[in-house]
Amino acid sequence: MTNSIMPANPFRRFTATVIDLILTPLVGLPVMLVTGLLESAEAYSSMSTIGIRALTIGVIAYLVLNGWLLHTRGQTVGKATLGLVIVDNTTGEKAPLWKLLLLRMWFLPLLFLLALVPYAIIPIIDQAMIFTPSRRCLHDRLCGTSVINKNLMVQL
Amino acid sequence: MIYRQDNISKTLNAVIGLIALVTTASTHANVSCENTERQPGTQRKYSEAWGTTFNGERHQSSANTSINADNAKHLKLQWAYGLSTQTPRSYPLVTEDTIFIGDGGYGLVALDKETGCTRWANTDIKDIESAIVGEEVDGSTVLIFTGRRSGVYAVDAKSGKQLWFSKPKVHPVPMYSGSPMAYQDKVFVPISSMEIALSLNPFYGCCTTSGGMLALDIRTGEKLWYTPTIESSGGIVTGRHLLFVEKRGPSGAPVWSAPTLDIKRNLLYFGSGENYSKPSTLTSDAIFAIDAETGKVVWVKQYTANDVYNLACDLSSEHPNCPSNSGPDLDFGAPPVLSTLKSGKDIIIAGQKSGAVFGIDPDSGETIWSTRFGRGGKLGGIHWGIAVDPELEQAYIPISDLPTGQNGVPPGPGLYAINSADGSTLWSATLRKNCEEHSCWPGFSAAITSGPNIVVAGTIDGHLKIYRGTDGKLLWSHNTVVDVETVNQVPAKGGTIDAHGPMLAGNQLIVSSGYDSFGQWGGNTLLVFSVEEAMAND
Repeated sequence: MTNSIMPANPFRRFTATVIDLILTPLVGLPVMLVTGLLESAEAYSSMSTIGIRALTIGVIAYLVLNGWLLHTRGQTVGKATLGLVIVDNTTGEKAPLWKLLLLRMWFLPLLFLLALVPYAIIPIIDQAMIFTPSRRCLHDRLCGTSVINKNLMVQL
Repeated sequence: MIYRQDNISKTLNAVIGLIALVTTASTHANVSCENTERQPGTQRKYSEAWGTTFNGERHQSSANTSINADNAKHLKLQWAYGLSTQTPRSYPLVTEDTIFIGDGGYGLVALDKETGCTRWANTDIKDIESAIVGEEVDGSTVLIFTGRRSGVYAVDAKSGKQLWFSKPKVHPVPMYSGSPMAYQDKVFVPISSMEIALSLNPFYGCCTTSGGMLALDIRTGEKLWYTPTIESSGGIVTGRHLLFVEKRGPSGAPVWSAPTLDIKRNLLYFGSGENYSKPSTLTSDAIFAIDAETGKVVWVKQYTANDVYNLACDLSSEHPNCPSNSGPDLDFGAPPVLSTLKSGKDIIIAGQKSGAVFGIDPDSGETIWSTRFGRGGKLGGIHWGIAVDPELEQAYIPISDLPTGQNGVPPGPGLYAINSADGSTLWSATLRKNCEEHSCWPGFSAAITSGPNIVVAGTIDGHLKIYRGTDGKLLWSHNTVVDVETVNQVPAKGGTIDAHGPMLAGNQLIVSSGYDSFGQWGGNTLLVFSVEEAMAND
């Protein structure tokens, strides 16, 4: 880990998350309509089926919305709007795509899936950790990433 | 920056501990029986099925109840039990010393018949909303019931231990709303469909499923046969909305209520509801007769054609899932009743939400007579169940007529007695609205029951009433919308009497009060009234 990494302002980061949380379901709506994943009785046959299908819609919507930005700039739409970028916590460089897609992307939808069952407090804790001294959420720690200001990244 | 793994672990442990504390804390109390033999007696069962008898008459003979027209006025509250739901929807099985009943989200309880103390409780099963029925299997009494969303359960009556659980894959979104029937080696389970409510979602493509009747092996819960009310449901795409969402049909014709068993003919009779989506079928709002051994349909008689409706129509007739020209939603929510007339001839008597009553030939399905009371509506008309007294050869017809958008037609809430042989009206006891509170309505929505020259019925405004069978004279009335002290110390108050209604067993009258649906009054009391033995022979 490098000491030169300066985590982004928590309020800016929180705002970026809110933007992503608003945009992803908006994109999810047409995804749901086109795929028909929540259109038939089979989708509602069990809580796990509903969850898996909703998660799939969420992942597709997330990729449609953010896939290119993540690949090229390490940003989501929300983070790009606020001038933030996700970096590897050890190198300070743009986090590798495999880490963003295979680890980080799954974390938020999984947390919100957990929120369907009586563990709603876990995503709240995850997001609240923005305000810890390290300014790294639970998912940052598990994925080995940090979110920093984009202009700081250039200096690294 | 320092990675504080220990702090994160502590935080997570604290969170998990908090969750565990919250989820395991019980809000329900019960009083275990201490001075009573805890194991329930099962020698005598006061009912064979939801309909009291397999015929579905909802009638107790003098052999099974000592409450009659002479002593009904002496009924007094013996004990009350506080249920853990505001919408109790379980109907008890009563034996010589025990009342088995589903207690809302708490579980299945076996209560001492005389004191209400708890002999045992099975708290693993949370959504019991059917009658508890019992059958002898290899020398033991097995309790059979359904969880509304979860499936079918078999529990040992002596210990309360679950024997099996069954949810055969006959339907993606089944609703076990009707009560099962256990007879010899089979369990018959009526199936309705959650699509009635899923249709509320405008992104949902309504609808692909139908109702049906399921038969299970009583020893294992394995499926023996399944008869859907619509063959190849959902096979036709009837349109699209929001560019991509496919509307499908035919669908619906759910079976909301318990079947009736004709042991002589080896037939099951049951009613179906409306279609959920177009095209309509000939099997909606119909009475079915099927072979109890194989499930093969013997005859079907439809009483309302082209009745296509789902809950989306209650939001707006412009809702994409609401079919054009929807309704009028006139299910057979009440099971058909098989009764033997004094002439020796059998007749099926079936009441519909329209308020119409039909006398039907059980051999052919032909209508022998018909009559009608009140204005009918989406919640009845006749909603949960009629009663038939074979000794007096008369049927009792409860009419709800709860306002559900019927315009211009005067309501006729009340109780009507008809001759079982020809459908002629013998007497009527209409009800007047006697309060102005929200949702106050006097009608009879709950199923009723009859005994020796009496009819017992509960009103939507929470009054339990007993009428004399021969002339309709009101013999006894009790307002259940009051706070009561309960044997299990749970704060309890009554409300609307709906769903399964009252039960007569021995010298007791048992009823649940409260129904927090359709804007009616919630409540959580299980009330046990009795006449003292000395008065039982009045």
